[in-house]
Amino acid sequence: MLEAIFLLPFAAGIVAFILPAQLGRALLVCTAIGHLVLGLMGWTGRLTPAYNQFFAGSPEGLLILMVTSFIFTCIALYSFSYVKETEISQKRVFNGCMLFFLGTMSMVTVSEHPLVLWIAIEATTLVSAPLIYIHRSQKALEATWKYVLICSVGIALALLGSFFVTLALDIVDTHQPLSFTMLNELAVQLDPVWLRVGFLFIVIGFGTKMGLAPMHTWLPDAHSEAPSPASALLSGALLNCAFLGIYKAHVLMVNAGLGDFSGNMLVVFGLISMVVGGVFILGQSDYKRMLAYSSIENMGIIAVGVGIGGLGLYGAFIHLIHHSLIKSSLFLSAGNILLGFGTKQVRQVGGIIRHMPKTFVTFFSGFVGIAGLPPFGLFVSEFMIIVAAVRAERYLGVAIFIAALVLVVGGAGRVVMGMSFNDSTETIAVRETFLRLIPAYTLLLASVVLCVWIPESLYTTILNSIQAIGGIHG
Amino acid sequence: MINILEVILVLILLTVLLSLGSTRLMALVRIMVLQGVLVSLIPLFLKSHEILTFGSVVFYLAMVIIKGILIPALLYRAVKHVSIQREIEPFVGYHASIVAGLAVLLAAVFMANSLKLTLPEGRELILVCAVTTMASGFFLMLARKKAITQVIGYLMLENGIYLIGNALTQHHHNLYIVEFGVLLDLLVAVMVMGIILNNINHAFDDVDTTLLGQLKD
Repeated sequence: MLEAIFLLPFAAGIVAFILPAQLGRALLVCTAIGHLVLGLMGWTGRLTPAYNQFFAGSPEGLLILMVTSFIFTCIALYSFSYVKETEISQKRVFNGCMLFFLGTMSMVTVSEHPLVLWIAIEATTLVSAPLIYIHRSQKALEATWKYVLICSVGIALALLGSFFVTLALDIVDTHQPLSFTMLNELAVQLDPVWLRVGFLFIVIGFGTKMGLAPMHTWLPDAHSEAPSPASALLSGALLNCAFLGIYKAHVLMVNAGLGDFSGNMLVVFGLISMVVGGVFILGQSDYKRMLAYSSIENMGIIAVGVGIGGLGLYGAFIHLIHHSLIKSSLFLSAGNILLGFGTKQVRQVGGIIRHMPKTFVTFFSGFVGIAGLPPFGLFVSEFMIIVAAVRAERYLGVAIFIAALVLVVGGAGRVVMGMSFNDSTETIAVRETFLRLIPAYTLLLASVVLCVWIPESLYTTILNSIQAIGGIHG
Repeated sequence: MINILEVILVLILLTVLLSLGSTRLMALVRIMVLQGVLVSLIPLFLKSHEILTFGSVVFYLAMVIIKGILIPALLYRAVKHVSIQREIEPFVGYHASIVAGLAVLLAAVFMANSLKLTLPEGRELILVCAVTTMASGFFLMLARKKAITQVIGYLMLENGIYLIGNALTQHHHNLYIVEFGVLLDLLVAVMVMGIILNNINHAFDDVDTTLLGQLKD
């Protein structure tokens, strides 16, 4: 039963609200491992959906599910130690909401009905809001309010878009139940006007959640105010889920013969996001906000890759995997730094290399990875997208793309160098612990391994994901 | 039958204009009750609507309860709790808001007539009504300072979207269980917003959104 993939975290979440926090933490880790096993079973096709009208294991969905599950396992291990060492008044709420969050995100990845997908994405907003407010400060409150309101309104527009897509179906005489498969089969018969309007609203709506500029305004606040494990999950897993909604709509558009329209729109939104991310990283004074803007930039890269298609599409999926691994690792390192120095201000942090040498390794190599340098995978994916863009003769796009990358490397480099090597007289409040280091190392190691060796099944899954819209040579 | 439908649509438009001009929050909540119930009634009066089944009756009943009772009750509690009665100093004045609402209505009529969209017979008025409701909901969110008015604006936006989804599309594609899920999401969203509102009131002694401006670049 494929539905177990999201039912298990839901059930565990309810239990975690009742259990004492100590046991809840153990439950978090156990559920994460159980989820990983279920995800692998789904991946190998051993789980079949019980309600195949609503749920199905699509290759792109399963890919994002596996990324989510792997990251969540690492983050659960990290939280095990993190929650013990931080002042969180409602640890049960934290445990429960983390599990609900995993459940709703898994539901997004296996949904087959457009409205079920919408319900699941809206639910991710609602269950993750308490995570952002967990520190109960005025700033956290503001971030939570913005997050819930902006994302809810954005996602409401995506609902409107989904309704427009069903309107496009009205001129077709069919009695099949609504699903993505059915929409793709009938794509050429759909009303192109309503499809275009629908896609526009879906991109704006889910784009809000994915962090595409100019709808990204909630993202830096939420990522910087949330506790680090939650930030890592928001950035590494949630944004992918929103991307999945846009991707499914894009596949539909390509099948309907409107691929140029949707592709160009994705490229434009992607480039704007990259520039916004790059500009705001320059001179950023809060290192968690800096990581958040870097997420906006990377989501932009993914959108550009998908919009260009062909090799760029393959690159976009590679980018998605590696961005999730590296960015969540970086947020976990940032959590260690925040615990150690007690501040998010770049200026007040210095000499990580001396005070926290093990965190320095993860933080600095994370920076190297996110900057798009080898041996990490973002180098490969960005290269592929640039090659695809040059082949498609989109030179202006390539110029903006590269300029934004340079801005990010410059801006982030200044911040990371300062934090790592400057002199500092600060004393470290909380020492590094084994449990809070291993997850960050594991995530980075996974990125390096996937860069040099891609398992056969992963490779075919990516190819299957992009097969519907022309594949790697399209 | 079609006449009743038109009467309801006109009433919905009236609630939209009323909400734009209302100075008191309690009155706004009452208007939302009326609007929620009216919007839930629309599908019952559609010409092409199939014979009522047990599932559909339960669904419409649930919808009236959620839109007409549960959500307004949450809003009512929030207004009571934060003890504010009047929306003082809106960004855009009340009379100007009504004029803006009328302008939106005109634009919606123009759009529905000129775009030559493929719509089922006699549904243009629903489209006009839905677009006006959505745009006014957006306007309310932008033009008012109190956080609670923004929640109400969000609800109006949802009502408009709902009109498009339920009244405009042919019904057999969507299933009650799925629509119920959408509705449940809306209910939980308002609940979460209510909780945050309460906390904002505790932290700042007010629910003015201009106070929420500490985080920026």
